[in-house]
Amino acid sequence: MKITLLRSLVLLGAFLSFAFSQAQEVTGVVSDASGPLPGASVVEKGTTNGAQTDFDGNYSLTVGSNAVLVVSYIGYKSTEKQVNGNATVNFTLEEDAEALEEVVIIGYGSTTVKDATGSVAAVTSEDFNKGVISSPEQLIQGKAAGVQISQGSGEPGSGVAIRIRGTSSVRSNNNPLFVVDGVPLPSGGSSAEGTNIGVGSSSARNPLSFLNPNDIESMSVLKDASSTAIYGSRGANGVVIITTKSGKGGAQEGTWEFSSDVSMSTPANEFDLLNRQEFLATAAAFGGSAQDFGNDTDFQSLVTRNIASSNSNLAYSQNYGSGNVRATFNYGKQFGVVKKSSQERITGRINFSQRLLDDKLKLDLQSTLSRVNDEAPPLSGSAGSTGDLLGSAYSGNPTWPASATFNPGNRVNPVNLLNNFQSLTNTDRFLVNFSTGYDFTDELNVKATVGYDRAESTSEASLTANSFNLTRGAQGNGRGALNDLTNENRLFELTANFKKEFDNSALDVLGGFSYQDFNTKGRSVEGWGYNTTDMNQMARDLATSANGLESLITGSYQQYGYDGDNDLFVNRSFPNTVTDQLGVATIPVTSVFADTFDYTDELQSFFARVNYTIADKYLFTATVRADGSSKFGSNNQYGVFPSGAFAWKLSEEDFVGEAFSTLKLRVNYGITGNQDGLGYGRFVRRERYSTAASTGLSNISDSGELDAPGLTTVEFANQDLKWEETTQYGAGIDFGFNDDRFNGSVDVYRKETQDLLLNIEAAQPSPQPTFFQNLDAVVINQGVELVLNYDILQGDDYNWTVGLNVAYNDNEIQDFDGQIAAGTIRGAGLTNAFAQRLAGGQPLFSFYLREFLGFDDNGNPIHEGGTDNQKFVGKSALPDITGGFSTSARYKNWDTSVYFNGQFGNYIYNNTANAFFTGGAIGSGNNVTQDVAALAGVEGRFAEASVSTRFLEKGDFVRLQNASIGYNVPLSEDNFFKSMRLSLNGQNLFVITDYSGLDPEVSVSPAGPDLLNGLPIAGVDYSSFPRPRTYTLGFNLTF
Amino acid sequence: MKLKLSIKPILIPVLAITCLFSCTDLEIDETDSLISNDTSETGFTGVTNATSSLDNLYNKVGSDFQSQEQMYAMSEVASDALLVPTRGTDWGDNGVWRQMHTHTWRSDHVFITNAWNALNQNIYNATEIIETPDAGATVVAEAKFLRAFNMFFVMDFFGVVPFRQLNEGPAIDPSVLTRVEAYSFVEKDILEAIVDLPTVSPGVANTGTATQEAAQFLLAKLYLNSGVYNGTGTYASEDMQKVIDAVDAISTSGFAIEEGYFDIFEPTDDTETILFLRSEVGPRIWNTLHYNQNAPDNEGGGWNGFSTLAEFYDTFEGDANSNYVGDNQEERRGFVPDPTTANDQNIGIGYGFLINQQYDADGTPLTNRQGEPLIFTKEPTSLVGNTENQGTRVIKYHPYDPTADDNFNSFRQHQIIFRYADAHLMKAEAMLRMGTDATAMVNVLRQGRTNTPDLSSVTETEMLEERGRELFIEYWRRNDLVRFGQFSRPWSLKETTGNDAVNLYPIPATALLSNPNLTQNPGY
Repeated sequence: MKITLLRSLVLLGAFLSFAFSQAQEVTGVVSDASGPLPGASVVEKGTTNGAQTDFDGNYSLTVGSNAVLVVSYIGYKSTEKQVNGNATVNFTLEEDAEALEEVVIIGYGSTTVKDATGSVAAVTSEDFNKGVISSPEQLIQGKAAGVQISQGSGEPGSGVAIRIRGTSSVRSNNNPLFVVDGVPLPSGGSSAEGTNIGVGSSSARNPLSFLNPNDIESMSVLKDASSTAIYGSRGANGVVIITTKSGKGGAQEGTWEFSSDVSMSTPANEFDLLNRQEFLATAAAFGGSAQDFGNDTDFQSLVTRNIASSNSNLAYSQNYGSGNVRATFNYGKQFGVVKKSSQERITGRINFSQRLLDDKLKLDLQSTLSRVNDEAPPLSGSAGSTGDLLGSAYSGNPTWPASATFNPGNRVNPVNLLNNFQSLTNTDRFLVNFSTGYDFTDELNVKATVGYDRAESTSEASLTANSFNLTRGAQGNGRGALNDLTNENRLFELTANFKKEFDNSALDVLGGFSYQDFNTKGRSVEGWGYNTTDMNQMARDLATSANGLESLITGSYQQYGYDGDNDLFVNRSFPNTVTDQLGVATIPVTSVFADTFDYTDELQSFFARVNYTIADKYLFTATVRADGSSKFGSNNQYGVFPSGAFAWKLSEEDFVGEAFSTLKLRVNYGITGNQDGLGYGRFVRRERYSTAASTGLSNISDSGELDAPGLTTVEFANQDLKWEETTQYGAGIDFGFNDDRFNGSVDVYRKETQDLLLNIEAAQPSPQPTFFQNLDAVVINQGVELVLNYDILQGDDYNWTVGLNVAYNDNEIQDFDGQIAAGTIRGAGLTNAFAQRLAGGQPLFSFYLREFLGFDDNGNPIHEGGTDNQKFVGKSALPDITGGFSTSARYKNWDTSVYFNGQFGNYIYNNTANAFFTGGAIGSGNNVTQDVAALAGVEGRFAEASVSTRFLEKGDFVRLQNASIGYNVPLSEDNFFKSMRLSLNGQNLFVITDYSGLDPEVSVSPAGPDLLNGLPIAGVDYSSFPRPRTYTLGFNLTF
Repeated sequence: MKLKLSIKPILIPVLAITCLFSCTDLEIDETDSLISNDTSETGFTGVTNATSSLDNLYNKVGSDFQSQEQMYAMSEVASDALLVPTRGTDWGDNGVWRQMHTHTWRSDHVFITNAWNALNQNIYNATEIIETPDAGATVVAEAKFLRAFNMFFVMDFFGVVPFRQLNEGPAIDPSVLTRVEAYSFVEKDILEAIVDLPTVSPGVANTGTATQEAAQFLLAKLYLNSGVYNGTGTYASEDMQKVIDAVDAISTSGFAIEEGYFDIFEPTDDTETILFLRSEVGPRIWNTLHYNQNAPDNEGGGWNGFSTLAEFYDTFEGDANSNYVGDNQEERRGFVPDPTTANDQNIGIGYGFLINQQYDADGTPLTNRQGEPLIFTKEPTSLVGNTENQGTRVIKYHPYDPTADDNFNSFRQHQIIFRYADAHLMKAEAMLRMGTDATAMVNVLRQGRTNTPDLSSVTETEMLEERGRELFIEYWRRNDLVRFGQFSRPWSLKETTGNDAVNLYPIPATALLSNPNLTQNPGY
């Protein structure tokens, strides 16, 4: 790489180091009602001449004798005083409650709600969701209109899907860009996807788990193109800017905060499965018999649990005037309601801010170091016909003994699986952001930012030789996987900001350059044939084997493998392609295969934004970003993404009556891009030693043998590959009455996404069956968003507020000629089954099914138009309406809040029922639910269970997501503790839905290779991890 | 304006300095994979290591032909030899098997689509090797053989064959060879390959890669089907003579009929195997056995899927309703071990056609998952709603492997695709089509098997039946039925009659969409 971040920085530092000076002096103290204010800014009006108050609120400034001093401090109303020749001028500032809320963080800067031209939803820490939060997205779930946040399962640390203003991409990532303290995070996971060692593959863990939710000050969701275009090619799915807490609010002598909570989780719902007697009776009622092994076992309750978790935070913050610091430490361990699932998080953070050189130079540092340990149970969205842990627990014959050594012959014994599987992932992440800003003049500020983000993840999975009846040859041998993944991204940014106020207008210009590179490297190791059934020892043995083999290899390599019978082979690409045989090795595992990868993507950008305000009524914003990406060839390496917005503060106009305290009209237009999900080097012909990874299998055969793979061409040369492009139009009105006591906004938008990046089937013959292409099709998202807030009661001792947000989105793909199958359905007899299709004129995730009409006289299902007539049924997994309703009240020291969220108009394919709960299932001796028992005499015991509308259900729901009650313990002034708070919080207290599965807010998310045609899946429920109901008792102390 | 004055002097040098040290040309580095030197001027410059690419191609072809889906389903499940009935919920599989059996597939059938993609990808990868400047003559010859092998199947299944020059990127729609052009292409590739391929004698060590003998076999297949491929339905004598010449060339190298029918499918030396693929034979074993028929190296027993039709089973010698030892069946129908014949070596799992009560290795009668006796009935009664027990099972590869440490290995990579008995019958058929009496020729094969009395005469009917008895579930049934004009006739649980459009599979819908030069085959 050509960039030398350090050198650039040094040069910049040299640039900034020459200073400015002046003469003459006024001193004074700035204080508020409770005492001196450190860090307040005192400026001679109309000049750049200013100072900052020190620890004791003192300032000293040299000014002209007729000068006017302006004192400002965030959270207080600005105050002016004439010097009039006085040597001492003191100030007492008044708090400005509204000013704090009004600041909205946007890309490369901030604005206020009043002056915002775009559509930005800002949620600050006070409004965050409470309780057990494993990932920052959950903090704002349901809090912002048009932002659909759903966790696909109840598993701690599982991925979260965020859709801002609908789903606009097909193959590419649809999650927004996350920017943490100015560092855009890479879109991929920071942990490896789990290799299939016999239970199916698993998707990567949530990459945002590394952030301690308690450290977050605010999250801004940039929704429209005028806000996101400053992020150019990464803005199409919206942008979420996460800002962490600084030490600004700390006392001069330092403030300690300690909070701790303990929570209790139980599975919120379970299937009504048959017990022994019911099972045997039902098998008979269906006209058959089931094998009776003599026991009465409830496997569902054997694999789930009620479990306590805890989380603790310690924070220290200090604001000493010329700077502030905040340091935090967090430890939490959250256990899942399915056994062997947990997430342990340890994070430390130091945020530091310092002003120097008469406050002209500002240094900011935000850094966090975290360790996340995930333990995953044997669950997979791609489990085969025998099911995973939950599938086998639902379908297991209840007369089996609850014994890990019981072998049911051809099925999975869930207790055996639970005892013989282990999956542990450890992820260390370091994210640091250092910026230096310098005010060259009152108008011009230049800021350089260096960001560094490194995530190192190791995941190990083991399935012992004592496991039964899975796949991949684990039984009798043991199989394991070790995946190491390191993601490193480096950011260098330089921005210049020019602000100037004119007589009746104001100009704010931002220009910048940004360079970011993303290195991904690691290895995937598979092992087969272990001497031990101790799973920790298995993991150690595989690591020892891999490291032992690697120590025998000198020079670079892509792959190596060893299977006991043959020599250690090494596949090398550089400097020459050669396969070496290195003789026999002594390692504890019989067969080992490893594949390594190491690649870097680069992004280089130039951007600018101009805000121009006339008469504080007419606000104009224009932005443009030119992004260059190494993911594209020379023909389309750079993309240019412009946007514009206009806002009109109607409430400032005379012709609008006093009834409105706020009335603002906003219109915006912009183009943003998307290149996520594309992967590395898709535009150039490349060769690699092949792996079976693309098929989801492994290179070591089920018998432990392995062949040295040869080279294969992995890509077409395709210099025309280019960005996916979203054009968005939007308009909105913000309104407020009665001093904004009742306020709200309405937004309408239309997004058109074209040049869809899709991994489609190549015109054969071709080196690979599919390749990435810009599809000539358009995805339309259009919708309306409504936000209403009303402070019903306001008083010194009490208040009561309600808030509502609702969004409607309509989605459709247009101008597409093909039909691509998607949405794999799994289970016995469901190989090759799918439930969705991508086609023109349909929404994304449209269901494509047989129309189920009932059962014939033999108990076989009847489908409209014949056994295998699959067609579009006019229903999609995408909701039409999403929304949230919250209300909170305070009376003296007590406060309470309740928060509901809901989703309407979507459909869910109940793959769990399709795979496990049918007459055919009880006919083959599997356990079923009471609902199936009721079908005796209607459905046959040998009935097939094709994918049909029988298993398609409405996904509408309203959930009481969160309810909490808190008490602030009254403390005397001289108490050692400054504040003390107790709270009780309930999450997922109830769900109103007609959906017959465990929870309507679910979808499988199998790992990439298991996605049919590479298309994502939504609205398919296959033995999803049950969502917990959680009660949390917490207390907070500051001192 | 003031803006210019105040920003320019500072911003421009800053940006210039920034760019000096940090601007990048955004070129990707060769850290992860070999990036080709191809440019629009040079065009395709060759693969980096042709030998390694060839090795990968062998693995790929082996794994493509290993699957019970795709080409195997299109060759055998679509024929009268196999049926995959839906048993309870099992093997519903979105109807893909039912559609195969009833010939009601459409252009979006997943097997058809996947077969098209897999075979054509292999053709492309072979072309890359062939056109690599520094590739050795033998490597190029092997790649040509593999290209011909894959193109033969594309031509056989789909008629037309798309072809793409290596310099043609994704923006260019591949040209399309007619069936006649494809026939010539395949023939040319084989003839060119033969010159540089090694000639070998029989044996496991020699027959896992392309040889002159394998090339001769493929030539014989090509010429034997010439009447199908040229659309005339007539078989020119010169083509039939070429079949005979090719088979004679193979026998000259020592390939011959081997006695001990089921031993041929073990991974040991025999005189029959001309080419085997790097395919695990497990899928041929487990797809037919019941869940409760177990073996040491398999998890969870069989998959209880594939069975045959009564009419196919009935073409063999022996008791029509039983297949235990002593039922007077011919050797090729195999046998079901019973309490007297089950042993540790056959572990109770039979050879050939499995019907009636099945037993464990120690002779214990097996039960199904409902605890009822595991009695395989002769034929499924319908496409859906079958019990676990319905249908006669067919197994040719057995878990028993005399070369494995513990004598059991269902994962051995040894699927025979070209076999001398097939060549022998091809020669007999060529003679028949030339008007020569092939009875003696066919009887020579039958004399190599036991309990197969000589046939008194051999017409096309007997020839097709004999091929079925000798070569069942070996990838050639559909090809044979089409050549004998029998593919579209009705058989059990298949109603369609007389529609010869099914002799060609539809061009996959996705292929039509991605390449406008393709036109759909008639009838779809």
